Amino acid sequence: MSDRKLPRLLQAPAVLLLLVWMLIPLGMTLYFSFIRYVLNSLRRPEWTSPSLSNWRGFGNYEFVLKSKDFLLAIQNSLFIVCSILFLTVILGVLIAVLINKAFPGQGVVRVLLISPFFVMPAVNAVLWINMILDPVLGLQGIAVAGINEFLDGLRQIPVLGGFFSLWPEFEPVSFRATQTSAIAVIMMVTWQWTPFAVLIFMTSLQSEDQQQKEAAVLDGASTWSQFRFLTLPHLGRPIAIVVMIQAIFHLSLYAEIEIVSRGNGNKNLPYLIGEFANNNIGAASATGIFAVILANFVAIFLLRMVGKTLME
Amino acid sequence: MGRIVLDQVSKKFGDVEVIPPLDLTIEDGEFAVFVGPSGCGKSTLLRMIAGLEDLTSGNIEIDSEVVTEVPPSKRGLAMVFQSYALYPHMTVRKNIGFPLRMEKMAPDEIDKRVEAAAQSLNLIDYLDRKPGQLSGGQRQRVAIGRAIVRDPSAFLFDEPLSNLDAALRVGMRLEISEMHERMQTTMIYVTHDQVEAMTMANKIVVLQAGVIEQVGSPLDLYHKPQNVFVAGFIGSPKMNIFSGSEAEKHGAHTIGIRPEHTDVSMTDGTWEGRVGVAEHLGSDTFIHVHDTGLTDMITVRITGDISVKHGDKIYLTPQADQIHKFDAKGQRIA
Amino acid sequence: MAIVAQSSKFSTYGRPVLAWGVGLLFFFPIFWMVLTSFKTDADAVKPEHLIFFTPTFDNYLNMTDNYDYWRFATNSVISAVSATAFTLFVSVPAAYAMAFNPSRSTKDVLMWMLSTKMLPAAAVLYPMIFLAKSIGLYDTHILIITVLSLINLPIAIWMLFTYFKEIPKDIIEAGKMDGVNTWGEIKEILVPLAWGGIASTALLVFIFCWNEAYWTVRLTTIDAATLSKLIEGNRAPEGLFFGRLSAVSTAAVGPIVVLGWFCQKQLVQGLTFGAVK
Ligand SMILES: Nc1ncnc2c1ncn2[C@@H]1O[C@H](COP(=O)(O)OP(=O)(O)OP(=O)(O)O)[C@@H](O)[C@H]1O
Ligand SMILES: [Mg+2]
Repeated sequence: MSDRKLPRLLQAPAVLLLLVWMLIPLGMTLYFSFIRYVLNSLRRPEWTSPSLSNWRGFGNYEFVLKSKDFLLAIQNSLFIVCSILFLTVILGVLIAVLINKAFPGQGVVRVLLISPFFVMPAVNAVLWINMILDPVLGLQGIAVAGINEFLDGLRQIPVLGGFFSLWPEFEPVSFRATQTSAIAVIMMVTWQWTPFAVLIFMTSLQSEDQQQKEAAVLDGASTWSQFRFLTLPHLGRPIAIVVMIQAIFHLSLYAEIEIVSRGNGNKNLPYLIGEFANNNIGAASATGIFAVILANFVAIFLLRMVGKTLME
Repeated sequence: MGRIVLDQVSKKFGDVEVIPPLDLTIEDGEFAVFVGPSGCGKSTLLRMIAGLEDLTSGNIEIDSEVVTEVPPSKRGLAMVFQSYALYPHMTVRKNIGFPLRMEKMAPDEIDKRVEAAAQSLNLIDYLDRKPGQLSGGQRQRVAIGRAIVRDPSAFLFDEPLSNLDAALRVGMRLEISEMHERMQTTMIYVTHDQVEAMTMANKIVVLQAGVIEQVGSPLDLYHKPQNVFVAGFIGSPKMNIFSGSEAEKHGAHTIGIRPEHTDVSMTDGTWEGRVGVAEHLGSDTFIHVHDTGLTDMITVRITGDISVKHGDKIYLTPQADQIHKFDAKGQRIA
Repeated sequence: MAIVAQSSKFSTYGRPVLAWGVGLLFFFPIFWMVLTSFKTDADAVKPEHLIFFTPTFDNYLNMTDNYDYWRFATNSVISAVSATAFTLFVSVPAAYAMAFNPSRSTKDVLMWMLSTKMLPAAAVLYPMIFLAKSIGLYDTHILIITVLSLINLPIAIWMLFTYFKEIPKDIIEAGKMDGVNTWGEIKEILVPLAWGGIASTALLVFIFCWNEAYWTVRLTTIDAATLSKLIEGNRAPEGLFFGRLSAVSTAAVGPIVVLGWFCQKQLVQGLTFGAVK
């Protein structure tokens, strides 16, 4: 039947496009990762165009592995992703349970809560790092200055002032600095993605078996054990899905890092690749291959965990 | 016209052979009913005739034309689904007219035919509603309307009444039978329901595990079941079937006697037993008798009411000419 | 009803207060951005004008002069709309085929598609720049539209697939009996029935395209640069332009946030591939 072939034909464009999208650039990355290839070199102009005669074997990989940024970048990638996952899931569950029951203005609170999710990442980062977290001009700076002024005022009070003068001045934190910029990124991404987790957990809570709960109440289950033994298991699947989807998005986090610190001491893998790609394409490509391997580990793990349940 | 011939038709899903090669002829104008236990392949067979399912082997002819490779809509058949399968986004009018629109029929002509079909199905007042605003019975009528307008050479029904409540079911059953009388178009009808099968069919096809056990008129099947399976499957309550020395007395491996062909007495009879449960329907009484030594339980059906209670001793006598005899393979002994 | 009877003080007072607190806290940064956008650049950084200030619309009126906002916005609209259209154009037929004529490989194909989404974009950054430059597409709409479509294709197909699977198979088969061909099936039955699903897929893809920041920043300079690029380019105003930057940021995210409010429900179903309802 011709009826048979048409469906195959209909999905062909999608499959082909994705195949090309996967294979051609990835193939090139693989190729570049084995040759010497830089964008500018006065000394070795022959390296500035990709060619097999510049074969370097695993040299780029060695170079990347030895560079101190690489390990840092992997650590940082995992640190950022895991922190975000941890925070969003915990906050998500708590908030979802909190606002799931009816209360006055529930609809409005939902709308307020979900809003951050739709803010474009670039704006998210610019907003947080400048208007909110800036140590001098942002809300943080203003708040810290205000507190210090207030303490200063207290110190002027006779007798009691002596006690307050023992207190130190508060120091605002600079979130563009090396150690803290990752925290800033975690903060802003958590702000953006917690609403997503809340939304999904809430939807799932609405399908929780109410009769089961009522039975548990009759059986004398406390609120805590209801949560622990009924609600939490019910949320297992949505939690897995939230973890998977966020992992997909956050492993390739970029705009936030670029905007917050320009990767200053806070590079993740995508950022490191971008940095290498300013000149050393060979190294950038080798790093890219590492990133693919890392992503594959995560992907296999996650698809194992979640993928099957999606199919039902 | 609508003579449908299945020639060595078979179906496999993957490696599972759901229907081994099978032959069947349905004559023009016949009302054929497929019955059989759940999962025996009734729907699959019907869907193969419709063209919704490919054949693994064999051929299907409609009016002497091989249609095995012909797409469903070109076979001149119409199908009514168990779920009705109405298009929820279209009004009743659009739903019924849809197949005609697909044939590129002129809009006036479509309107005329839709009105006519709606008239005959009492749907005139609902033409501008969507399926979601109709009752189950009305939806069923729309589904039938959509089939009728095409003026098909045969209708295919897959358990069309099973989603209706009992009262509606009886009404629709009569309507479909009447429709058949009027149009004299071939109909193939899949059902679980004994009563539907017995009352509507000219020809019943009993299937088990994809194999045709018997084909015949309802009374044929009732009076002359070809094998133990058909004997047990057709008739309600079920025929009492047992083997052993009592069967050997009649020169058979297995014998069967229908509940309504057993006489009851409180004083004497062929078999003695004890009353388990008596179900009083008013018009009839079903008595389930234990401890006969023949089989776990024998059911008898008596017209009218009779007062027996649990534990009473009871005597049963089979009507000699109504005993069905089967050989060791389960086949009927003439 | 036993549960209602147990309603405690927490339910009557604690829950609403806490919930509103959390809601306002999460909304606060957006509120703050909008508020700042009505301050002059000078007021925006003065503690005494934190809350009390003379509102001004100048930041919005001067968006063109300050940032050439409309050019970037136009680019964003062009790329997001075209990419969404193209994504749907490719994904609707594909999802249709997979939902209604699945083969043995369909599940694997779907899983594979999802896994392409996990391919780190950075790994193929340079090849993309290289290819784009060598065929002269760098910093063009065509390139951005193509890339945006490709990265959203897997999600779109998945979403549509789950929506389509909810359509009873019987209806499609009834259509086959009634004589619709494949095109008719899509046009007459599938699209009208799955209209809501298709619309929310489109909406979500549009939002993702609009917000995308990796490729749009890396593959454009001026001609095809989107709002993400604009904002990213002004990442560090050093406290000088908080007012105007807030205004342009508000203008960049406002429409999308409002759009998002209207499709929360679909968002859940779509993003979880129908696994959470
Ligand atoms: N698409 C399919 N893939 C695999 N097996 C199938 C498929 N469709 C049906 N089957 C199997 O084929 C057998 C016959 O199914 P069919 O639906 O024809 O039964 P049926 O007689 O109509 O049952 P019921 O009375 O319950 O409707 C069943 O065992 C069923 O599991
Ligand atoms: Mg069936």
